Parts: sequence; structure tokens; C-alpha cells
Amino acid sequence: MANEICFRTLNHKEPWALSTYQSLGGYEQWKRILKKKTPPQEIINELKESALRGRGGAGFPTGLKWSFMPRNVEGQKYIVCNSDEGEPGTFKDRDILRYNPHALIEGMAIAGYTIGANVGYNYIRGEFREPYTRFENALKEARAAGLLGKNILGSGVDFELHSQLGAGAYICGEETALLESLEGKKGQPRFKPPFPASYGLYGKPTTINNTETLASVPMILEKGGKWFHELGKPNNGGTKLFSVSGHVQKPGNYEVGMGTPFSELLKLAGGVREGRRLKAVIPGGSSTPILPADVMMDVTMDYDALSKAGSMLGAGSVIVMDDSTCMVKALARIAHFYFEESCGQCTPCREGTGWLSRVIHRIEHGEGKSTDLDMLVDVSKRIEGRTICALGDAAAMPVVSFIKHFRDEFQYHIDHKRCMVSA
Amino acid sequence: MKTGLNHYLKTFILWELLIGLKLTGRYFFAKKITVQYPEEKTPQSYRFRGLHALRRYDNGEERCIACKLCEAVCPALAITIESEVHDDGSRRTTRYDIDLFKCIFCGFCEEACPVDSIVETRIFDYHFEKRGEQIMTKEKLLAIGDQHEAQIAADRELDAPYR
Amino acid sequence: MINIEIDGLKIEAQDGAMLIEAADEVGISIPRFCYHKKLSVAANCRMCLVDVEKAAKPLPACATPVTEGMKVFTQSQKAISAQKGVMEFLLINHPLDCPICDQGGECDLQDLAVGYGGGETRYSENKRVVKNKNIGSLIATDMTRCIHCTRCVRFGEEIAGVRELGAIGRGEHMEIGTYVASTISSELSGNMIDLCPVGALTSKPFRYSARNWEMQRHPSIAGHDCVGSNIDLDVRDNNIMRVVPRENEEINETWISDRDRFSYEGLNSKDRLTAPMIKQSGEWQRVSWDTALAFALNGVKELVGRHGAEHLGTLVSPSATLEEMYLLQKLVRGLGSSNIDHRVRQLDFSDQNRAPAFPYLGQSIESLGQSDAVLLVGANITKDQPILGHRVRQAALFGAKVMCVNSVDYKVNMPLAEKLITDVAGMEAALAGILKALLNMNKIAAPSGIDQLLHSVSISATHEKMAANLSKASHGSVLLGLSAASHPAYSTLYALAECIAELSGAKLGSLSLGANSAGAWLSGAVPHRTADSASSNQTSAGLNAIQMFTAPRKGYFLFGIEPEFDSVDPVVTTQSLKDAEFVVAFSSYASTVLSDVANVFLPISPYTETSGTFVNVEGRWQSFKGVVSPQEDTRPAWKILRVLGNLFELKGFDYMSSIEVRDELKKCLGDIKLSNKRAWLCPELSGNISEQIVEIPIYGADAITRRAVSLSITPDATGHTIVMN
Repeated sequence: MANEICFRTLNHKEPWALSTYQSLGGYEQWKRILKKKTPPQEIINELKESALRGRGGAGFPTGLKWSFMPRNVEGQKYIVCNSDEGEPGTFKDRDILRYNPHALIEGMAIAGYTIGANVGYNYIRGEFREPYTRFENALKEARAAGLLGKNILGSGVDFELHSQLGAGAYICGEETALLESLEGKKGQPRFKPPFPASYGLYGKPTTINNTETLASVPMILEKGGKWFHELGKPNNGGTKLFSVSGHVQKPGNYEVGMGTPFSELLKLAGGVREGRRLKAVIPGGSSTPILPADVMMDVTMDYDALSKAGSMLGAGSVIVMDDSTCMVKALARIAHFYFEESCGQCTPCREGTGWLSRVIHRIEHGEGKSTDLDMLVDVSKRIEGRTICALGDAAAMPVVSFIKHFRDEFQYHIDHKRCMVSA
Repeated sequence: MKTGLNHYLKTFILWELLIGLKLTGRYFFAKKITVQYPEEKTPQSYRFRGLHALRRYDNGEERCIACKLCEAVCPALAITIESEVHDDGSRRTTRYDIDLFKCIFCGFCEEACPVDSIVETRIFDYHFEKRGEQIMTKEKLLAIGDQHEAQIAADRELDAPYR
Repeated sequence: MINIEIDGLKIEAQDGAMLIEAADEVGISIPRFCYHKKLSVAANCRMCLVDVEKAAKPLPACATPVTEGMKVFTQSQKAISAQKGVMEFLLINHPLDCPICDQGGECDLQDLAVGYGGGETRYSENKRVVKNKNIGSLIATDMTRCIHCTRCVRFGEEIAGVRELGAIGRGEHMEIGTYVASTISSELSGNMIDLCPVGALTSKPFRYSARNWEMQRHPSIAGHDCVGSNIDLDVRDNNIMRVVPRENEEINETWISDRDRFSYEGLNSKDRLTAPMIKQSGEWQRVSWDTALAFALNGVKELVGRHGAEHLGTLVSPSATLEEMYLLQKLVRGLGSSNIDHRVRQLDFSDQNRAPAFPYLGQSIESLGQSDAVLLVGANITKDQPILGHRVRQAALFGAKVMCVNSVDYKVNMPLAEKLITDVAGMEAALAGILKALLNMNKIAAPSGIDQLLHSVSISATHEKMAANLSKASHGSVLLGLSAASHPAYSTLYALAECIAELSGAKLGSLSLGANSAGAWLSGAVPHRTADSASSNQTSAGLNAIQMFTAPRKGYFLFGIEPEFDSVDPVVTTQSLKDAEFVVAFSSYASTVLSDVANVFLPISPYTETSGTFVNVEGRWQSFKGVVSPQEDTRPAWKILRVLGNLFELKGFDYMSSIEVRDELKKCLGDIKLSNKRAWLCPELSGNISEQIVEIPIYGADAITRRAVSLSITPDATGHTIVMN
């Protein structure tokens, strides 16, 4: 069951080549749509049936998102792919760009056709030099094969796709900041509403999807929404790429069905390191709340189950920590990341992330005060939900969850001025 | 009748005078409370509010930053300040006058000062000989501060826990 | 209209209004830092978070549009805790240097911290420190105090039209700066000082000189351009400490130009004239008013007796008050001379008899901002009348086609649809080209004589586009600027512009020099008209500002004039003055040249020390009072003129106040028609024109501004280059 959607070409020679992709039925859907002029509503219905949800972290139903685009409005529209994969622990989009770029190109072309956009942009994370060249080469191949450009295959449909390398800011993974950056401005999130569907890139209606989401589209159309849906769980359709990292034997990307129990995923990744016990897991990337081992071993990996367990699936970035991990140090690292990556636009995040980071750093170095823990939680609560974008929440949630589940460890650091784990 | 006689006798033996002298006698032998100023002086609180002074930091820099809070708080409008940008870019006074005829020694200026610059010292015996001398200029105030810095600093130290 | 409820109060709000606007309207105050009604919404300070029913999170009032039936609570637990939380965040990195901060006492952060700040801090880490930037002579920076509201950045982008400040860096490392170290060059830059809610941007000339609580605020009118911006003068110890804008939506909104804001520095200049003086055998002597007035009286009487009154010439500054101009012309006309003029920079007076009652904008200032096509003729509107420039720029941002025909390629801060730069001589041809294109396009019958005039004129694509833009516009404006007014063929340019406006349905307007050119025309400070008949001409006109010197007079009255600056040809002017027998100088300053040529100095008060009236370019009469008492022995000029009138034994000089003077003039004028319409008379193309460009430096427009030190070292003042065509 593993690796059949986004990683479909993985086990073939030169998985990134157009010939490989086409030999496995690639671009057939794009050709079929061009030929039959499939009504967009049909494609959207198929997506709705597949229960495909945004793979970037928020988990918004893709079919619904596409249906928000103003249909009868004339003028320029855009489809944008968010390949600015910056969340610590996430590395799935990188491998799609590396090993199956054509699935993304086909997905974006179909998306563009569906929402009425004839220009697409793929915004690729600044550090992804190798995936960027891979993707650029794939674009060249596709253009040469006449799959992109003007009047594609004589159908009268135009679609042009460009890729753009970011400049290394985490915040540009936020969709509106990405748009700003794409426009050549400083990457800072816009206030919503208006949403990109009505006021997006250059002020035009824009749909933004994650790489994995778009790359899943061709297969959904090939095999049908129902088939895709059944790979996963109700309301959590399809397979998902899980980037498993941390203290496991075989870290890497695993494409498995939604709703796979965590224990199974852990087994796939070879289990925790020899002689160690699982301590905690961050299930969806550094911004999602951490869950202790006992909770994790009972959950299945899907949006609903994880949200019930008190965390989030996020981008499916599973960070596994064994019992050698100092939770204070781990949180200090995460807090420092958000401090450095806050865009500085709105007050709570700009000022709050620095405050959190400094206090946690102090606790880690044995200079904590007894009032610090309550203060950290309080400060986090003052950031959460009061910022323009979700970065404020992303910075606050780990702090609250780490302290909630591992308060004793933090207290030990404060009381004994040293680490409980190494002690 | 009886009271009349009594009165008559008392008048004769100067009774009231003796009563009075009794009080005199009591005070004559009692412990004296008179202070022989200026040889002797009454004890003063460290919060005594006497003549004003402007203080400096140890390196000789004036403390006053011309924030004008003392001028604003002064209920008698006794303080006049003018300020400008100093050569080193800092905010400094060009004029700091206290009119002692107006001053009511309430100590608000001292309270308001964010840098402990204007203070009231323990000095209470001073006089003016000419009109205009009652204006304490910046120079005069700084001179007082320089002269009494040890005492001023010690007094602030004592008061510190209550501030 | 939309019905909403704020704190239980049911109100009606404008469709599409933001919550904070609706709340402001009914006087419910919501704390804010980044929101400003004249700037775009940034929603980045998060101070205005309020509790909206059915919303899970508190919402920023500045960026939440009102919706029907919305219930808002600004005082609920949720709202207050959100606001207090934000305030704590703002304060953790804000320095506690209020005692030395010039914003102290008028600081938004300080004020709101009283309501929303905690008693003590929980923040025990190191505070952020940011290096200060040197951004010029007008604005002082203390960047550590910045709370990153980006008002200044948005001001630069949206109002000033020059992106000079920006936010560099990310997160806590974000700094407001110029990126590449440079000075701010906008002519509206001072407004950033008002916009800054904290003490990060403060006024450099004002720095550390006073506290806001020790100043009294008096309303006044700015006296440096024809806009008549409303200002407040902050006074301490009988000194003008600073100038700030007074809001007037119809004129200057909430802005004022740097010239209006910082020229107050000139008021206390060293060469301020503080006592009457007379020159005897080449030596200046300080004398009493009686002596000086008697000296002036005798001098003028002798001169008139010897040569006749027609040998008296009078020049008045276009920035004098209406009352001063009226009394001055009444005085000299009473003496029998009509040689009075205020048009010190004009070369061509040939159509003065046909001129409208005063140089009129042709519409209100507000309406100018709603134009959808603007043709600027010989106008450096951005620098000369910054507030009008701002209005035109707003129009441009809303899609208006702004075009210019200039003899200098001025830097403008707005998108220009078309631009035509020609030499001075080519100005006529350029306008004629547009006119011809207009006629060709619309096939309208040309006014008499035009066909012949345009016969040899060739038209280019630019001419055609300009004509098309103007005739397509439903609200077009054609504006003649200061360099058009100084053009050697001004009357032709005017007539051509008039014709263009007429044929395209646009509104014709003139921009005029100084604060009160309009008042000068109305009050009779022109040689051919008196106040009694503002739009009809005298039978025998006096000499104009040029004739007075080409045919030198024996005696002069100079009122607020500095001959070396306020004339087209300083050499001729100065020489004529030197050769004159008797020169009376009414002046606030004793410059070298003036000391050289004058025989008596009568020190007059500048507009801050006298009551008076300015009439702005839209014909609005704005009276003001003196806010500080006249310096030493200076006197309000209307009083001096009144006394002089008495001394000359002229009738009707018994005024008790400047208001009486104004009211008399108003009565004389009756109803003034606000119109630029006049009978058509075909102009002539003059052909050979001298290559003289009369440029007025932006900070050299009047005597006060010339003495404002800080303005004189701005890029606008120092960056002057020789313009060659």
C-alpha cells in the first residue's frame, strides 16, 4: 500500500524523468481533461469525494477550497503551489520535487484548469537548490513535450508554470506572506479577510495549495475519488507522506494511508533507537503540541484522531524523541526557532517569541525562577489567537504543551539547576 | 465669711506668689530642653526638607536631565527650567532656578525627580542680603550638592527601603 | 447603513466601515497605535483587539468591517485582557526613558500604558537597543523607542509618495530605517513626527526645548503658500516653540508641509528688526516710533512735494495680510500714487486688465483631489504647494491622469500619465499643440482667431494623448503654476490654458505666490484695480512691479520685501532702490541689502504677532490672531499704517482693530464672484522669448522661511542645481 500516490515513480530508474512518469500513466489525466474539456465542477466533485485535505498543515478540504474561487469573474487568476517547506521536521515536499516533479506539474495544470487560472507559480524554499533544479528541468521537459504553454496539444487551453526560489524565511510558508514574497515584497502575512480566493497574488483571485496536495490530484482523477478516499479513513481521505525523524532507526518519508496507527508507522521507521524507550512525539511538525509516549501509541495518524488526542496532524512531520531527550532543551531549540523566524509585523509575536525563547533558555541554563513556568504559560496564552497569522500560535502551542506534559522536568531544571535526564 | 478670712490671710502671706514660684521651682530643677542654638542643634530626620541642592554622579556628570517633572509638580511654581541639546547629544538644562520666596518646601520636586537630582538637604540656616539672592541658580544648587554630597547620599541610603 | 451594537449602544455605521471608525464616530474610544484614519490599515499593533460576539478570537477593530447585527464589546474581560496583553508586549522592549523623551506628555504609548499597563514588569531579560539613524535636519530619531507600528512607512508610501523609510530585518530585529543611509527628502516629512505614536521620530529643531504641558496652543493660519493650511502654534514664554497641523478636512486634512511646520525658526532670527531705525548720514540709529514715523512722514512729504506722487513706488510682499495690503494701498493711493504691486516675480502683465478678481484655483481644494485628469502648466506643485500636490497625488492614485507641461523636469512624487518638458520658449507651442489636438479631436468650432493662431503649430502624439485625457475626463483640472506665472509670455500661456480648459470642459485654476496673492488682488495691491472695484479696472493704471524699476522712481515703500530675493531682476531692482531719494522699509528683518537701500526701518510683526487675514487660492478668507506679543519695539503693521494715515492727514484711517479693516474691505468688495471666466480674446504667440527661468527656491519663498536654519540644510534647499534646457 505504501508509496503509491506521490511517490509512485520512486522505485523506478530516474524517477524524476518525464519518460518514467509517462510510462506509469502520467499526464494522461491532463490530456484527457484537455481533450474532453471536463467541466471544472466535475473535477471538484471528484476531489470532494476523495476527501483530500490540505497537506500543508491546516487540513482544509481541497475540493471546497477550489470551489471558493470566483467562477464567473473575468480576468487573471492564479494557482500557486506552496513548496516553501520550512517547518522543522518536515521534508516531504522536498522529495516530491526531487523524485516526482511531474506529478506536481500535472496537478498544478489540472488545478489551474479547474479554477480558471492560466498561470501558476511554484514557490520553492530558498534552501532547496537541488529540488529547484530538478523541478526546473521537469518544467523544461514538460514544455518541450507541449504539456505546458500556449494552446496545449491543440486544445486551446493555455497554462504556464513558473518556479520561484524563496530567500530563506520560514514565514513565507504562510500563504499570504508567500504571495507578498512572490510579488517581490517583504514576506509578511496579510491580514485576512480578504482571503486569497478573492484578493491574492497581485490582487487577483488565487488558490494556494501544498505540494503534496497538488501532486495527489492526478492519481485521484485517474483512480477516482472513492478509491482515494478508501485508502484512508472517512473525512480523512487518501494516503499521506509522513516525514519521520528523530530517534528512530530509519528516519525518512513514508507514504501510508491516513489513519495508520502510530505504532505501525514507528515500526516502518524501524522503531526507536536500540535500548531506548519512546518518550514523546511531536506528531505534525515543531509547531504542533507534543504528546507523551503513552498517548501516542494509542492514536491513529489522521486529522481527527490527533486533534482529539490534543495535537494536530499538521504536515505529518513526526518527530520522535526517546528517553535521552531533555524536554527543556528541545523546547528551547523550538522556541529559539520561532523567535528567529517571527516576521516582526505584529506585536504579540514579535515581542512574545523573544520573551519565551529567553526565559526557556534561562531555565535550561539553570537560571530559572519559580514563577517562570506559570509566566511562560500565561505569556503563550497572550500570544495565541491574537496575531495576524498562525506563527504566533505555532510559537505558543509547543510551550504550553511541553509544560503541560513535562512540567516536572522543567521544575527540576529550576530547582536543581541541572537536567533531570542526564542526572 | 470663712472664705473671706481665708482670702485675707492668703493675701498677707503672698500665697499666690508661692504657688507660682512652685512651678518656677519645678522647672528650675527639671531637665532643661532648651537648645543653645547655634552651639547646639536639634536632631534632624534624614527626610528633613531644607535648602535644595542639585547632585552629580560620581564622575562629575550632572544628574539633572531637564525632564521638567519638578517644574510641573511644584505647587508654588517656584522652579523655572530651560533646556537644550547638550554638545554630547544629551538633554541638559541651561537654566535651573528655584525661587526660595515661592518655595514651600513640600518636597514634591524631590519626589518627582526620576534621577535623584534635585534634593532637599538638611540645611535650614541661610539668609539673603539683597533682592534677587533668593533665586537659587543652577550653579548655586550644584555647589550645595557638591559640598554636601556625602550627607545627601547617606540620607538617600537610609530612605531607600521606603521608596 | 448597517446596524451594530457597541458596548450595548445601538448605532448605525457606514457600509464598509471598519469597527474602529464606527466606534470613533460615536465617541467610544478603542486604544490603537498603528491605525490612522488617513493611512491604510495595517492591523499590526493589535492594541485595538475587541470582543465580537460569535467570534472565537478577539478581533482587531481597525481591520474588522462592520456587519449587520454585529455585537461588539470593547470593555469585556476578553477585550481588556487582550489589550493588556498587547500593552505588556509593547512595553517589555520599550525603554523607560520618558523623562528625556520629547514625546513625554503627549505620547500615545504613555497615555495608554496608564490604562492598560501593569504596575510592574515580569520581564527580566535584556531589552532591545536599536541604533539611531541620522535622517536629516528635521527629524530626530530614537529608534529604540520604536514600536513598529509602521505609520511612518505607510505615510511615505501613501501620502508623501516617496518610499524613504522601511522596515528592515525580521522579528525582534526589525528596524525602521532608510536601508541605505540617507536623509528624508519629502516636503511633507514633518508629518511623520505627528504620526509617530511614541518618541521614535521627534522634531529636531524642537528637540529638548520644551514640554508639551508648558505650552499654550493657539490656532493660526500658515503664511507660506497659497493653500492657507490650518496650524496650531505652541507658545511658551511668549515664544513660538513649534508649529503643528490643525485638522481641516477641506484644506490640509491632518497634514502640513515642512515649510509651514519648521519655518517658525526664522521668527527668532538674529537679524530680526526689533526697533524703528533711521539712517542719517549713512549711519543707522535706533530711534523711538515717534521719531521714525516723523522721519518717514517728512521724507515722503518732501519727495512728493518735489517730484509728485507718481514718483512713489510701492512693493508689497504677497505674504502680507489682507489688512496690511488694504491699508497700504489706501495710504499710497491717498497720497496720489497707484504704483503699487505685489507681483514681484511676474514678467508679463499684458492681460492684467482682463484678469479675474483674484488668482483662483477654479474649484475647492477638496474638489481638486477628485479630479480625474490634471494638466499642470509650469507648476512644481509637489514642492511649491505641497498640500495641493498631495491632493493631486491622491487623485492620481485613484486613477486620475496627471500630465505636466514644464520648462524644468521637476521631480514629482506621483505617476505622470504624460510629460512634456520643453524650454521656456517652447511652452507656448506645447500648449498650442494640445489645443490644436483638442480641436482636431473634438471637431468643435474654434473660438475666433484660434485657427489662424494654430495654423503653423505641429502636434505630436503626446499632445494628442494629453488632449484625449482631458476631454475624456469628467472632472478635469488645468493648473497654471508659479513658473507659468513668471513666464515671459504668461498672458499667452494663460489664454491657451483657458482655451484648453474651456474646450475640454476642465476647470482652469491658478496657483499663486505667497500666502495671500488672492488677498492682494482683492484689496487693491495691484496698480490697476482698487478694493472698491475688485474686478473693474482703474482708468489710469499705476506702474507694475517691473515698470517701477525700469522707469525708476524717486521714492519707494517696501513692505516685507527683500529686494535681492523678491524680484525678477535683483540687480536692476537694487540699483533703482539705491538711486532713489527716499526708501521706507516696512520689514521684520534687516538684511544687508535692505539696510543699504532704505532710509527708515519700520519694524513690522510677522503673522504670528499680528492679527490679520489670508485669502487662500480657493477664495477662503481665514482670519487669525497674533499669538505672541510683538517682539520688543515691533508693531503690527496695520497699526503702523493706520498711524501713518493719520499723520498724512488722510481720511478714513480711524480703525480700532484689524477686524474693522477687514470688514470695511469686505463691504467694499460686496459679493466676490468665485470664477475664472472672462470674455474671449485671442492671444498672440510671441515667438522670441528670453531663456530666463524664474525659479523660486522652495525654502526661499518668503523672508521668514529664508531664515529657518533647519530647512535651509534639507536636500530640497541645498540640492539646487543649475537647470539647463
